[in-house]
Amino acid sequence: MTIPPGWPILGLGLLYIAIAVAVVLALRLLWQRSAKALADKPGMLRPIAIAGGVLAVLAALLPWVTFRFNDGPYPDLATLQFFDEPWGVTGFRLFVLLLGVVAIAAPFLPVPARRVERAIGLGLIALGLVNTIFPLISGGGFGAITAADGAFAFGGVATLVAGWVVATSAKAGPLEPLPHWNPKVPRLLAYAVLVVSYVVLLLVVAWMLDAGTDPDGNTNTYAGPIFLSLLSFLGAALGALHAFGFLGWLTALSERHRVFSIGVLVVCALALPFTDAGTDYWMTIAVNVGVYAATAIGLNIVVGLAGLLDLGYIAFLGIGAYIAANFSGAAASALHVELPFVLVAVIAAIVAGIFGAIVGSPTLRVRGDYLAIVTLAFGEIFRKAAQFNIGGMTGGANAIPNIPPINWFGRDFSAPLTIGSVRLPSGVLYYVLIMVLVALVMVIFANLKNSRIGRAWIAVREDEDAARAMGIKTGQVKILAFLIGAMLAGLAGAVFAHKTSTVAYNSFQFIESVTLLAAVILGGMGSIPGAVLGAALLLVLPEKLRDLQDWRLFFFGLALVVIMRFRPQGLMPDRHRRAELADEGADGVPIEELNVPDAPDGSTAQAVAR
Amino acid sequence: MTATTAPVLAARDVSMVFGGLTALAEVSLELHEGQILGLIGPNGAGKTTFFNCLTGLYTPTKGSVTLRGDRLPSDPARVTVAGVARTFQNIRLFPSMTALENVLVGRHARMTQGPIASLFHGPAYRRGEADARRRSLELLEFVGLRGLDDELARNLPYGDQRRLEIARALATDPAVLLLDEPTAGMNPQETEAARQLIFAIRDTGVAVVVIEHDTKFIFSLCDHVSVLVQGRLLVQGTPEVVRGDPRVIEAYLGKPPEEVEAEVRQYAEEAAHSTGTAGTADPADSAEDLDTEGGSR
Amino acid sequence: MATLLQQLASGLVLGALIALIALGYTMVYGIIQLINFAHGEVFMVSIFAAAATYKWFIPESWENTWQIALPCMLVGAVLVAVVLAVLMERFAYRPLRNAPRLAPLITALGVSQMLKEIVRLNYPDAKSAINVPRAFIDEPIIITVPGGTVVLQATSVLLIAVSIVGAVILQLYVSRSRMGRAMRATAQDPDTAKLMGVNPNRTIVFTFALGGLLAAVAGVLYGIHLNTVDTEVGFLYGIFAFTAAVLGGVGSIKGAVIGGFIIGVVKTLGGQLLPGGTGYDVVWVFILLILVLVFRPQGLFGEPERVRA
Repeated sequence: MTIPPGWPILGLGLLYIAIAVAVVLALRLLWQRSAKALADKPGMLRPIAIAGGVLAVLAALLPWVTFRFNDGPYPDLATLQFFDEPWGVTGFRLFVLLLGVVAIAAPFLPVPARRVERAIGLGLIALGLVNTIFPLISGGGFGAITAADGAFAFGGVATLVAGWVVATSAKAGPLEPLPHWNPKVPRLLAYAVLVVSYVVLLLVVAWMLDAGTDPDGNTNTYAGPIFLSLLSFLGAALGALHAFGFLGWLTALSERHRVFSIGVLVVCALALPFTDAGTDYWMTIAVNVGVYAATAIGLNIVVGLAGLLDLGYIAFLGIGAYIAANFSGAAASALHVELPFVLVAVIAAIVAGIFGAIVGSPTLRVRGDYLAIVTLAFGEIFRKAAQFNIGGMTGGANAIPNIPPINWFGRDFSAPLTIGSVRLPSGVLYYVLIMVLVALVMVIFANLKNSRIGRAWIAVREDEDAARAMGIKTGQVKILAFLIGAMLAGLAGAVFAHKTSTVAYNSFQFIESVTLLAAVILGGMGSIPGAVLGAALLLVLPEKLRDLQDWRLFFFGLALVVIMRFRPQGLMPDRHRRAELADEGADGVPIEELNVPDAPDGSTAQAVAR
Repeated sequence: MTATTAPVLAARDVSMVFGGLTALAEVSLELHEGQILGLIGPNGAGKTTFFNCLTGLYTPTKGSVTLRGDRLPSDPARVTVAGVARTFQNIRLFPSMTALENVLVGRHARMTQGPIASLFHGPAYRRGEADARRRSLELLEFVGLRGLDDELARNLPYGDQRRLEIARALATDPAVLLLDEPTAGMNPQETEAARQLIFAIRDTGVAVVVIEHDTKFIFSLCDHVSVLVQGRLLVQGTPEVVRGDPRVIEAYLGKPPEEVEAEVRQYAEEAAHSTGTAGTADPADSAEDLDTEGGSR
Repeated sequence: MATLLQQLASGLVLGALIALIALGYTMVYGIIQLINFAHGEVFMVSIFAAAATYKWFIPESWENTWQIALPCMLVGAVLVAVVLAVLMERFAYRPLRNAPRLAPLITALGVSQMLKEIVRLNYPDAKSAINVPRAFIDEPIIITVPGGTVVLQATSVLLIAVSIVGAVILQLYVSRSRMGRAMRATAQDPDTAKLMGVNPNRTIVFTFALGGLLAAVAGVLYGIHLNTVDTEVGFLYGIFAFTAAVLGGVGSIKGAVIGGFIIGVVKTLGGQLLPGGTGYDVVWVFILLILVLVFRPQGLFGEPERVRA
């Protein structure tokens, strides 16, 4: 009797898993041991940090992976610096070099060195991992890290060790407290800092979007690792800035000069088409990000403020899109009427809002997680209804194609635009429109959140019985959350319909609702910039990481699990939520709270501003 | 307080039956302007159930509750709007809102801005918001939480959370305030402070009903005491009458009458002493006195 | 008449399947008030595990003897499902036991997505539907009724029998055994149960494992009955099963089974008799779900939730 083929594979698989678990446990033990041994030896910071830093500098100059890639569609673009000659330091090797130098310098500067070293160490580890694992997978196994002449390529391994050592140095003695910079600075200085910071932010975003693209706009075969290397470096830089107290200061500054910073931010956002990222391709992505961001902010009212989980939220975007499609004059639409876009957008918002109120009405009787299931059921009913062309309004499986672009004053929104001698990419007008829409939605959200209604939502989220005992008609308030949230989604849907020019039922599947929810949770429930950041990450990352695109949905799921477990307050938490969900330990004093003691009269002023 | 004036809050023959189990049987109560009424009784006597009937959380199986002659609706939100506010036995603040925001939520029913106004933040909206803020800050100061307005409710010490809950309830501009075990888990200093606070609330013209286990606290605080035992009203009257009633002592206190008498008298004297000098007295002083008798819980 | 009976029969078969999955939902919800969204995916994974066992883990000479092949598939599926359910509880849900209530639900959503994608991307050819072998008696049972005949697959009979017998055994187990008592105690009041010497963690893990076992049984039966599977079934059947659990009253074993049968019949007959045809059959189930949740959230056999004060 022959052994069936499954058994050896299973055995091998289990063996790999056992090895992986053993390695992880060993590393953890080593980490704990070294942390424990160093805890009462603050003097060890300098020697260890210097050792790690020197190793990182050396690693940058060592040969890395020398396997040659030339099987991609653009062999001449295969310039990921795995195979640069030694001493030619560009790209990620430059990042390693810079981080190494900072790691050496930090203990001698008047900064919270342990926090800085920690950030740099993690950044180095990430850089090492990205640039070792990628060639292993894409370059055909361990052969990829052997030099052509048979010598071993030490760079990647050396960087990993360097990162480990630098991170360990942070464990020598207790972490420093986060420094606190006084946000009360002269107005002009504050403005200057804000303008410079946001412009740098814009350039960094453009740089990130553009990473791995050659001057002609073709995507490099190795765009993924190039992007991830940049991300690791920026992460380390951001961590270091935070350790300095700079980020906290910047947050406090923009909080103090809210109107100004919002203005600068809007101008910066509108300037994106003028940067290297101003291509047709990125404009399309950016518009999608805008649509998702506006919808996610709407969802954030329901989930983040009122605490009602909605798992069928994409339906409202769909309703908005179908309404817009039917009033667009598209040949396949049921109505053959063409209305001006602004009117259509208003209709779309109102209809979506009505449906929102209907979907939300079970909240009068259904609590908590049961409600999530009700909304899921509504979402699926919507999708089925769209699939089978209910009332002839959706085009069924044929969708509604050929929706004409928005046309204002004879200007076609999908055409390129030329201002003076600058030729802007096509879709730039949609980009402007959606940015205005997102800004509008943000203002709506912020105003509502700081109002009587917003407080009622939060009260309902926190304790429904107590809210009722305060005279809040909880049913009405909850339905209102659904209604307003759905209106925002409907509005976004109207833009979506025109931009994509086809509205099909399979754009509104359950997974899209999960994506929206993931955007809200990733950014931070109840947080406005968080929802935008979440939407941007969830749409931009898959574009940059083509190699992993198949795994997109897997990573969405993983992100939900990991965030709920380790950072339930999200990446850019709302102040309330942070308090509720985060376990603020020694190394996580909330940024805003550091500013409180500084302003004697500021306590109320801050509350008003919020 | 004379019984000739019309009562603010009146419960008539309130009965509550849960699936055949009678939790309340024909309980009648009257609360008058400026009165502090104590409701005592052993565990499971139906005190909280009775509160829930008063605040519309439960609809009584039989009987009615009226506020100034109007029947109260059976919906907590509308009861609050009508003018009955409450606190909870196990503190139920909005933990991740600040103290000020908690009180502002209490103002909800007395504010009128709708969603449209909330969207645009016009001048009228801002005026209303500023009024609410001012009133809320006043209330925080009134209950002794001045300067803590920007603190998250969850971060407040236990006693302050109780005070905040009272401020939040007062923010609804109630005619009647129902306090469910306001001193549960408090140390003697905090208990004494709570007593003074309740007197101060009474002095602003709000009638107060207090549920407590701590009989000494009740007898030194209330004008009128009702004793609930097994869902029935056993005795009601002035503290003197109630504490002298042998049925109360037997059914509720389970101690020889003389011992209770002595304890209560001692407490009342101490209380009178500290009340007399409340304005300037060192709270630790009276607390020390209370400590000597071993605390109440 | 014959057509109607035939439809009713297939509705009952579907219902039996849903009932088996619903038991897992109802037990887990009963004990920790978590809608374990990923339970449907455990069911889905177990179907793939059964198919894999048949294809790669049993020698060819056994493949045509169902008395051997079927138990082997069952063992494979149960092993995978139980390990999965236990790991899920340990690493995804347990750390969140005291977190705000939406957190574990969102985690469940994430776990469900991950499981689906792992199978879709790693199981050979799982990006579209794959075949599951016919591992049970092939001849159908033909019953003559007035106006025609009703054809029953052998697997249909097996499915209905297994789900009813399984539910009865489970009911007896929960009401009689030591572990069953511990489960009920933990469901009522975990803190008191702990004081009484019940280990809540062990009880909860056991509940997840039991749910996984039932899902695996359902998975194997699904596989040999329908002979095809794709990664989407987990979501769809998960929702059906959840509906059934709610309809019957969450926490009630009898309720889950009866709810399952009702859902199965509603979906099948709704697709035939109600406007819109088979395309809308799912919609009727969802509408039923919404109506139940709104008008009788405690379900047919559940107890109404008392208001806290």
